Amino acid sequence: MIVAVGLLYFAVVVAISVWATRRTRTASDFFVAGKGIGLVALTVASVTASVSGFAFIGGPGLLYKVGLGALYIVLPAAVTNVLGAWVLAKRLRLLAEVRGLITVPDAIGARYRSPAAQGLAGVAILVAIVGYMATNCLALGYVLDAIFGCGLAWGIWLGTGVTLAYSAAGGILAGIYNDVFQGTLMAAASVLVFGYVLRAGDGLAGISHAILAADPGFLAPWGTLTPLAALSFFFVFSMGSLGQPQGVHKYYMLRDPMQLKWYPLLKTLGLILVLLLYFGVGVGVKALVAGGRLAPLAAPDAATPTFLLHYTPTLLAALVFAGVAAATMSAVNAFLNIGAAVVTHDLPVALGRRLGNELFWGRVTTVVIAVASALLAQLSGAMVAFLGIFGWGLFGSTLVPALAVGLNWQGATRAGAIASIATGLVLTLALESLAFFRVLTLPAGVTVSGLCLVVSLLVFLLVSRLTRAAAAAELDADVRLVMEV
Amino acid sequence: MTPMAPVLRLALAALVLSALLIAGAYASAFLPGGTPAWAPWLCAAGVPVMLVATMVLGAARGGRLSGRLALAFLLVGLLLVAGFALALGLPAEAAGAPLRLGLPLRAAIVVYGIGLLPILILPVAYALTFEAQTLRPEDLERVRQAGARARDAARGAAGAESP
Repeated sequence: MIVAVGLLYFAVVVAISVWATRRTRTASDFFVAGKGIGLVALTVASVTASVSGFAFIGGPGLLYKVGLGALYIVLPAAVTNVLGAWVLAKRLRLLAEVRGLITVPDAIGARYRSPAAQGLAGVAILVAIVGYMATNCLALGYVLDAIFGCGLAWGIWLGTGVTLAYSAAGGILAGIYNDVFQGTLMAAASVLVFGYVLRAGDGLAGISHAILAADPGFLAPWGTLTPLAALSFFFVFSMGSLGQPQGVHKYYMLRDPMQLKWYPLLKTLGLILVLLLYFGVGVGVKALVAGGRLAPLAAPDAATPTFLLHYTPTLLAALVFAGVAAATMSAVNAFLNIGAAVVTHDLPVALGRRLGNELFWGRVTTVVIAVASALLAQLSGAMVAFLGIFGWGLFGSTLVPALAVGLNWQGATRAGAIASIATGLVLTLALESLAFFRVLTLPAGVTVSGLCLVVSLLVFLLVSRLTRAAAAAELDADVRLVMEV
Repeated sequence: MTPMAPVLRLALAALVLSALLIAGAYASAFLPGGTPAWAPWLCAAGVPVMLVATMVLGAARGGRLSGRLALAFLLVGLLLVAGFALALGLPAEAAGAPLRLGLPLRAAIVVYGIGLLPILILPVAYALTFEAQTLRPEDLERVRQAGARARDAARGAAGAESP
């Protein structure tokens, strides 16, 4: 049954991709879907790109392991979508109207009239994408091996190959409509699984009673984390969301900017549905283990598979497994597209030499990045895990100040933007490397991503203040209009 | 450059202050005795202030914020600060204490107060104030005309440069 659902799922992905490929004719189609995506499709695609497979496997596993503290990764969802809408959505969509922008570094280049800032932002994105891509290719390998029993190496190449096929041919258009299919599947599966959790645990009160009897600290406000660690999660996953290009980039694609009115509400509700599984399985499995109805898990990441195989119909389990593959492929597609845009668009712009046929080179670069990532994913697990750690933090520390604050503050300067991007890039790489190789041990509760984000923000504010005399001259009239509307 | 409106000046000051609070919380964790008990309180105040300050920077239009929006931001800011403060300050529940909506009191404050209540305020406030505060059809038209003028000027400059 699980294999059959997996095959059916891949068939639908192929069909959508063929349809999208026929509609991809220009670089704008390839990178921003020709700015022609409707509100509902964009919302569902954005939800899918936001959560990745972590929401279905790693997240519930972390919650099972550390208790309520793991919720601080997803609690900001109540705020982040509307935060992004106020701070970035309108500005980026209007910049796309006046300048025809197609990438996130494009916006930084336009805001500060600076190819150097655009190129530096592109480099930061590319470095983060290498890690994200390798991690997601590896995750795809594990998931497909679990579904088809094909082995890790074949799983990596099969999953990357299918995603590459639709990413290179249909670009972001294929990605968006595959995301719509995948996101609908994920939301439905998440709601159903949550229902089965409540049934197995005798409701939320039954789940709480079972956990409190065995391990009261699990339902303490921070779980087994320190308060500073949990609050650090909240900080990094709220403010840091403003620098995630896989989400921010989608603001360019909305057909009618007036439809932004309902975007935060719809996306937040969609995210809540998808995250029901995260919360439900995490606490539900803990209650079942605490009550002696389930053997303790060998590894936290087994929480979702174990619950599905013991407490839900096989068809639903198959849908969730397909959903995990779907979410991971969605992330791979988004990062492939963004990485290709950096190489074929942002870096040439920064160097003053634009490519002649961005669509062709976009497809070529997509293939190169995918193959390189799949090869990297086959390296030692420790190295891939290391690469995956800093993706979110690197995006946050390099892009949030210059992009999110800079697009809303006319006093921000080019020097401030370049200094903060460089600070975020160097500091994140240095501290993550030192921490990974155990040269540096950070105190409990201090995360590299949180530390780098706040330092980069302070550098941005300070350098902009010191160079404020240049601010007005660095702002083009049309960009100023977009910032004042 | 347009002079900075008081609302924006206040938001920027709050952004700086909140960044310093969070940086202070992290820095204090490096003290010889380990993370002091007051460090999480700095974060609990700094993170909500930073979120609200950033939202004000993004939402202010012409340097002004509508009363409804200001109220929504104030409510959510207070909700987050109060939620974190209660989670930090309330004593652990006694065995057999009643559950609130299926969860112990402090867990319910975190899940429902911090995780769900803001959804009832912010996205609704965004939608209700969209035309007044965020984007009107005439704004879009102005921006499109500015874009067309910029493209015409670029074409003109390119034409003048070609032989």
